[in-house]
Amino acid sequence: MNNAVAEQKPILECRDLRKAFGAFEVLRSISFEMQAGVVLSVIGASGSGKSTLLRCLNYLEQPSSGVVFLDGEPIGLRRQADGGLKPDSPANIARMRAQIGMVFQQFNLWPHMSALENVIEAPRQVKGLKRAEAIEIGRHYLGKVNLLDKADAYPARLSGGQQQRVAIARALAMQPKVMLFDEATSALDPELTGEVLDVMRALAEEGTTMVVVTHEMRFARDVSDRVMFLHQGVIEEDGAPAQVFGNPASERCRAFLSSVAH
Amino acid sequence: MLDNFNRFVIPNLGLFMDGLTITVRICAIAFAMAVVMGAIACLIRLYVPVLRYFAIAYIEFSRATPIIVQLLWVNYVWPELFGFPKSVEWAGIIALAIQSSGYLAETFRSGIEGLARGQVEAGLAVGMTRAVAFRRIVAPQAVLVMAPSIINQFAVVVKASTLVSIIAIPDLMYDALKVVNQWFEPIEVLTSVAVLYILTIFALSATAKRVADHFRGKYGLDAQA
Repeated sequence: MNNAVAEQKPILECRDLRKAFGAFEVLRSISFEMQAGVVLSVIGASGSGKSTLLRCLNYLEQPSSGVVFLDGEPIGLRRQADGGLKPDSPANIARMRAQIGMVFQQFNLWPHMSALENVIEAPRQVKGLKRAEAIEIGRHYLGKVNLLDKADAYPARLSGGQQQRVAIARALAMQPKVMLFDEATSALDPELTGEVLDVMRALAEEGTTMVVVTHEMRFARDVSDRVMFLHQGVIEEDGAPAQVFGNPASERCRAFLSSVAH
Repeated sequence: MLDNFNRFVIPNLGLFMDGLTITVRICAIAFAMAVVMGAIACLIRLYVPVLRYFAIAYIEFSRATPIIVQLLWVNYVWPELFGFPKSVEWAGIIALAIQSSGYLAETFRSGIEGLARGQVEAGLAVGMTRAVAFRRIVAPQAVLVMAPSIINQFAVVVKASTLVSIIAIPDLMYDALKVVNQWFEPIEVLTSVAVLYILTIFALSATAKRVADHFRGKYGLDAQA
């Protein structure tokens, strides 16, 4: 998958991304490029900055410095005539975010809306689609996560795995350029992670561009095209899964992988 | 006892009903105003930089002053300072609204702040602006969560409204005191009036609770109630 698109310009690019909370530097100069169609898994210990990195990618977290480009366009910043960058308007930031899907650890479904309403909310409110049109899209994506029969169920009546699949459908319904997964299975009971991972695997096989922050080492190894190991806000290892898992250059990566003992 | 009831309560039922009408009218208008004022105060406190300190001052002031002081203040001081309210009834309404709006503002704030941060983030992540996320995600859920407190606040308004009789608004309490002072027979009259207040508040909370329960049930939230 990688090679076919290797010559294109990157769909996602981080340039010297830094993020500090007070004096604590969570991300320290993160730079990487990513091609469309690639599945990138980000692994690392708790507190290594992986979730913060993901949240910077769609500007839910504002980077302290550095820029994220989506399809060549900077997020949260606007190019000036002189080539400089200045803070963008909330409306433009929202427009950029609409092109990036995000799946949260805690699902974050809206409890006062049914599964289908959750999925059609953004197409209706953000894209301004007509209800019938949005429902058609919504049903398509609910079908994709095998939950068409739960379209009218409210989140409280769904299992964790079902809720997370609805959340995936909700993100897909905006037909984003990139999907971000923030430990999408960490809040699930072990017996429910499988159904969510299956959906993610299917998306990967269809060529969806994905950045997956995960503790599921098997998923990272088997499904992704590229694995990135983060340690204290720095990319310590970045390569094909076979290399990162089989023969990591970084000693810390090696230690981490043996500690999680997959 | 029954004799006194027949002599002092039955003949005055018409009067009490007039009083009750005024009580309900004052409370309904005051509460509607309080909801609007409370919502504005709450939103300013939460989202408008500098102005928020005025909102905090207003909320603290309205909650920290006794209702009777506010009643007298609005009734006697406002006309001198601002040229209104023109009637005692409006003075009573405004005073009740001011006090309730302070409590409601805090209720709204806790409802909004109690909402998990992820709820709004999920909205932002699909490309909503903060305003859309507030309207579509925060507000409906906050109202649902706050429904019991809001209903409770209406009952507080009805109870506090008994004090408006001191600025000579002929509400239910005023009429009751009038009859009592006429015959010096308080037992039956005041007991009957108490029952009327209880029934009014009970009817109101029961209706509101049913509406709230309906929505909680619909969203499968009954367990949280």
